[in-house]
Amino acid sequence: MNTTATRGRVGRVRVWDLPLRLFHWLFAAAFATAWLTRDDRLLHVHVFAGYLLAGLVLFRLVWGLVGSRHSRFRDFACGPRAALGYLRNLLAGDAPRMLGHNPAGSWAIFGLLALGFGLGLSGLLTLGGEEGHGPLAGWIGFAAGERAYQVHEFLAWTMLALVAVHLIGVAVESLLHRENLAAAMLHGRKRRQGDAADVAVLRPVALAIAMAVAGGAWASFGGYLTATPEQPYLPFAGPVLPDDPAWREECGGCHLAYHPSLLPARSWERLLAGQESHFGEDLMLESEAVEALLGFLTANGAETLPTEAAWKILRSVPVGEAPLRISATPYWKAKHGGIDAAVFERAPVNSPANCGACHKDADAGTFEDAAMGIPEPAGGSTD
Amino acid sequence: MNKAMLMLAATAVLWGGMAQADMVADQLDRYYAEGGKVFSAAAGEAMWTREFPDPDGGPARSCSTCHTTDLKQSGTHARTGKTIEPMAPSVNPERLTDAKKIEKWFLRNCKWTLGRECTPQEKGDFLVYIKLR
Repeated sequence: MNTTATRGRVGRVRVWDLPLRLFHWLFAAAFATAWLTRDDRLLHVHVFAGYLLAGLVLFRLVWGLVGSRHSRFRDFACGPRAALGYLRNLLAGDAPRMLGHNPAGSWAIFGLLALGFGLGLSGLLTLGGEEGHGPLAGWIGFAAGERAYQVHEFLAWTMLALVAVHLIGVAVESLLHRENLAAAMLHGRKRRQGDAADVAVLRPVALAIAMAVAGGAWASFGGYLTATPEQPYLPFAGPVLPDDPAWREECGGCHLAYHPSLLPARSWERLLAGQESHFGEDLMLESEAVEALLGFLTANGAETLPTEAAWKILRSVPVGEAPLRISATPYWKAKHGGIDAAVFERAPVNSPANCGACHKDADAGTFEDAAMGIPEPAGGSTD
Repeated sequence: MNKAMLMLAATAVLWGGMAQADMVADQLDRYYAEGGKVFSAAAGEAMWTREFPDPDGGPARSCSTCHTTDLKQSGTHARTGKTIEPMAPSVNPERLTDAKKIEKWFLRNCKWTLGRECTPQEKGDFLVYIKLR
């Protein structure tokens, strides 16, 4: 008799320890969050979810070796024949009930863990190559980063499909064996089978996981607590771009001083060659001033590729063209096409030329992801 | 040593304050020489809000369209939406301290708003108007 060892309901036994259950639901939440935050504006949330997912995979690998009975890999790992056999029996409505993970489920689990790992790795490569952030920043260039992104997308869809398979499997199993497997993964207990004993709860490990996640969240988002409109929190701080006081003064008088890396050098040449008709105004700059500006602008044009924005804008401009407007480049149009035209017509934006209304780092010229947002409409006119 | 530094600092502060007044006075002298008569802040203020047609058929504009009628407030560029720092030297001490800048912006902004360069009389009126804010 094991009455003292058995807490809780008669006829039920604890099968899943708390760290495993916490891992499971955090893993699901991280995956769901990552899927829901694919927009540029939410990249910081997406990256946090990605780090969480990858960290959880690493935890699970360790836990599979040192966790409680049914958490250990040896409890459910099996060969393909066993998995297929179980699947056949399941479809015939005749699969045996098990306390721990069944053979088919076991393969789904390893598949999800492998995909989670692959997503984490491809995500880090994308973050480093395309965005220039994270531990792999500087390891690969923009083009390779984009390849990594394509792999990342492919894996994400594959994992989504496997998640669907997992959900269907859980539903089918639950119906067949007349038990709520999802609830079991929540409170850890299943209908007793044989003379199984409760596994330990192992709260301290679960607490450690929770604290690690909280710490990570603080590191990623804590900056928002001390942000002000003058000093907004930028989750991804871009590189410090070349600057020039004469350029700031001359080119920043009527509009944002658009960083030269936002257009190819030939655009700046064309712009200054036509300074007497600069969007309806005659700049009347003296020749030395023009020469100095031209020197700075052409030396720091998009071809120097300091940012993702520079690379993507440059790539989208046909070689023979020298657009005078950043908002005329195909990349700009693609990125802003989904925004309602009314946003650009009303305050506080007023014009597509007013990048700073939405992009918090427009002055710096970096235009990082997760540093933009469409402002609320402002009342009143300009005079 | 300390006393000398104090004297130097005091002189610098007074000189800076006077510099603006001196600079504007110099500009006004120039405008006199170029044909201006008596400069009046009231005339400057009236000109500030006078609207001029847009040659491209858009809405009419005046100085106040971008700079607003209250020179102590920030304005907004009518085309680009950029914030323009207040014109009043009482709020923005950098205003009216650089003769080159004054001439540059008179040239550009009069041409864009009025469709022509401002006359020395008009420039003098504007200067006196802004200076008193």
